[in-house]
Amino acid sequence: MSQQIQAVADAVCAGKAKLVGGLVQEALDAGCNPTEILNVGMIDAMSIVGEKFKNNEIFVPEMLVAARAMKKGVEVLKPHLGADSTGAAGKMILGTVAGDLHDIGKNLVGMMIESAGFEVIDLGVDVPIEKFIEAVKENPDAKLVGCSALLTTTMPALRDTVAALGEQDFRGNIKIMVGGAPITQEFADEIGADAYTADAASAAQKAKELAS
Amino acid sequence: MIIIGEKINGSIPPVAKAIAEKDGELIKHRAKIQADANATYIDCCASVPEDVEVETLHWMIDLIQEVTDVPICIDSPSQYSCIAAIPFCKKPGLINSVSMEGNKIETIFPVIADTKWECVALLCDDKGIPDSVERRMEVFGNIMEKAKEYGIAPSRLHIDPLVVTLSTDEEAFTTFAECCRQIKAQYPDIHITSGLSNISFGLPVRKYINQVFMVLSMNAGMDSAIVDPTNRDMLGMIYAADALLQNDEYCLEYIGAYREGLIGPAPKA
Repeated sequence: MSQQIQAVADAVCAGKAKLVGGLVQEALDAGCNPTEILNVGMIDAMSIVGEKFKNNEIFVPEMLVAARAMKKGVEVLKPHLGADSTGAAGKMILGTVAGDLHDIGKNLVGMMIESAGFEVIDLGVDVPIEKFIEAVKENPDAKLVGCSALLTTTMPALRDTVAALGEQDFRGNIKIMVGGAPITQEFADEIGADAYTADAASAAQKAKELAS
Repeated sequence: MIIIGEKINGSIPPVAKAIAEKDGELIKHRAKIQADANATYIDCCASVPEDVEVETLHWMIDLIQEVTDVPICIDSPSQYSCIAAIPFCKKPGLINSVSMEGNKIETIFPVIADTKWECVALLCDDKGIPDSVERRMEVFGNIMEKAKEYGIAPSRLHIDPLVVTLSTDEEAFTTFAECCRQIKAQYPDIHITSGLSNISFGLPVRKYINQVFMVLSMNAGMDSAIVDPTNRDMLGMIYAADALLQNDEYCLEYIGAYREGLIGPAPKA
């Protein structure tokens, strides 16, 4: 890795939002390939951040500042990238199921998945089944659908959402990921989801596996 | 300070295990130690699927009442489970909770209207947790309108202005505190409560954040909280804050808690 890209990666990991833009410009000026700056300097850096979070070496706010720093870098990089380079990993549709208003976990997942190079379409909270289905139809290139439920009372809504997605013709084209405090691997298996992860960093990792 | 003991909740793994294995001793033990630590209410949350929730609550409430007469706080996200569990309780307690979501208020308020039951009310509605003080106070206004309609006095309400996580929202506490001040200014007799441990999610050494949140919130008018009363450090903070805020004449409660061995160095075994 070039010295300039290493500097970008270090700044992203350390959450230096004010520095990243300038470092990306320096890397560009030094002739680094813009796609490599994105993939190695930012996406790989964020996966290191995710790994550290999973291992309890860093905390939520540190993950947030790293993602913010990456965003600043992407702003500078964007004009130099091909049209499809950001979000190149794929598209994910994300939402908290009907009747459930919790969004902190879902937002962390969205942020980490975006930082893993995906385009995330966030449908928000209290998302009715029809809206999930509509969103997949409107985005036939979406590879992943992520559904979150934080309450024992909305676990049935999660089950219904996964079941309804399962009946659609597009089921074979998408992978369904589920998560939320009361959700377990067993429950995910039982309702026919393709994947369950316990935290945002694992979700991003899993998303990469599923979409590759 | 009104202390709602939080140790009997199916989202806590050992309690979940006890519920699954019908191990009544663990539930009774947790009820007893919270009662001994001066809990005002004992929260009872099954955290099981809704179709078996009422029977689970019945089993849990019976066990709690075997060992203590501290009133029960019935805790469920389902308004129907809440009202179904009322007859299991020997004396009026606390319902946890209503909000402006769906028909929660319309289901619970008429049932408790002519009773001595009190109720926790969360400042959220069908649009979610409002992010500004103004929007939360708007939800508060709507709740108070409903309370008036059903004849429930402000002193029977424990308003939870809702705590979001500090690690993802820098304004988490300041928004909460401003709501506390405005609510108390409008209704001096109303209670303000919080299930505060959310505040420290995602941060290291969460106990510092939780304890300071407690003290600062009490200063802003919070007079009720869903906490673990057997947490000696937290309990010490609560008693000390009450004394400093002139809620404890001659510091007698503070001294009493010390003398009973509830706060300060743990008694030697």
